[in-house]
Amino acid sequence: MKKLLTITLLLFITTIANSQIIRAELTATGLTCSMCSKATYNQLISIPEVEKVETDLNNTAFIIHFKSNTPVTISNLKKKVEDAGFAVGELIVLLKLDNQVAENNTSFVIDNNTYTFMETKSSNLNGEVKLKIMDKGYVVDKEFKKLSNMTKQYPSYVGTNKNTYHIKTL
Amino acid sequence: MTEPASNMPAKSFGIRNMNAFMFEADGKLNYHNMPEVMWGINKEWMVHAQGFISNRQDGGFETEGGSLYAKYRFFSKDDLKKHFRMALYGRYSFNRADIHQQEIETMGHNTGFEAGFIATQLLHKVAVSSSLSYERALDNKPNYKFPITESNSAMNYTLSVGKLMLPKVYTSYKQVNLNLMLELLGQRLNDNKKSYLDIAPSVQFIINSQARIDLAYRQELYSTMIRTAPNGVILKFEYTFFNAFK
Repeated sequence: MKKLLTITLLLFITTIANSQIIRAELTATGLTCSMCSKATYNQLISIPEVEKVETDLNNTAFIIHFKSNTPVTISNLKKKVEDAGFAVGELIVLLKLDNQVAENNTSFVIDNNTYTFMETKSSNLNGEVKLKIMDKGYVVDKEFKKLSNMTKQYPSYVGTNKNTYHIKTL
Repeated sequence: MTEPASNMPAKSFGIRNMNAFMFEADGKLNYHNMPEVMWGINKEWMVHAQGFISNRQDGGFETEGGSLYAKYRFFSKDDLKKHFRMALYGRYSFNRADIHQQEIETMGHNTGFEAGFIATQLLHKVAVSSSLSYERALDNKPNYKFPITESNSAMNYTLSVGKLMLPKVYTSYKQVNLNLMLELLGQRLNDNKKSYLDIAPSVQFIINSQARIDLAYRQELYSTMIRTAPNGVILKFEYTFFNAFK
């Protein structure tokens, strides 16, 4: 029984040794002008695992390149944007995955963070993949309200574990 | 003239210098210089410390006093290129200059305190702010007591609208930004109900997305109280150091 349970658990949570978060595309909200974008830029560039940040001033969006072989903490991005005085409206991460099954309510682990799929069409992910972070504080309020009504389909969605993220394939 | 409900980024440090060239009825120029330092403590709190220097007293420039200011942003709802924010603020000032008008102004004239509320709505390139505050004057120690025949407290109310005019499309952080702003600033003395309303159009230049120059003209629209020099030109310089603290 225990063996069956362990195998079942392993089927749902896979730890990937070679996977990496390469970069993130972040849209900040609550700002329009370049001085506000600069404040956000300066906060993002101060994150230790960040290599480079490119700014799209007209869309208040940032492309954040991470250092290779360095663990990435997604919540650092949200915290720094909020420290600048703004909020995250959208966060898409580009990851390198190795034969990862993508199915609603299944998870994988990278850098001690768990990523659980939701709103995802079942597929197999290989190579560079874009995933959208769906949790509160990473989507605009209107979208969060809609998603928080889906706890029947995605029971872990309103959990408060800070090392768990919910993702959707794009 | 007024602060928005937004704060400086956390762990940033700013310096500001305000120069006010105000004209008395007989044409005499009152020059006030107010150097200021600002700290963004975290995303909710910021504090300022300001000094007051003016040439009002005979014998040239004198440091008349100083002020401590704190702002607490307690509400923020953000969306793409939009936000609605609310903040509370408080100021305590000391000033040793003579009291020469009925207008109460803790920023440069009176010892006292002010406590208020600000709300700001940003919608794309336009920001509208409004504030309401209570201001109380105390004695300008050591030499000048606040006259007991005058109202020592007031309500202040402001409405400001600002618009990002240039650039129309961004290509770099280095572009100069130009904002136009219009403020309405009013005060009503609580004891005698005397009041005034001023209008202040201004132009703001943002340099390298880090420095700011404001040029404003303040004009009294009406007043039923004694004010020494309500009209004049204000020139402000501001610079922000991001990530100044760990």
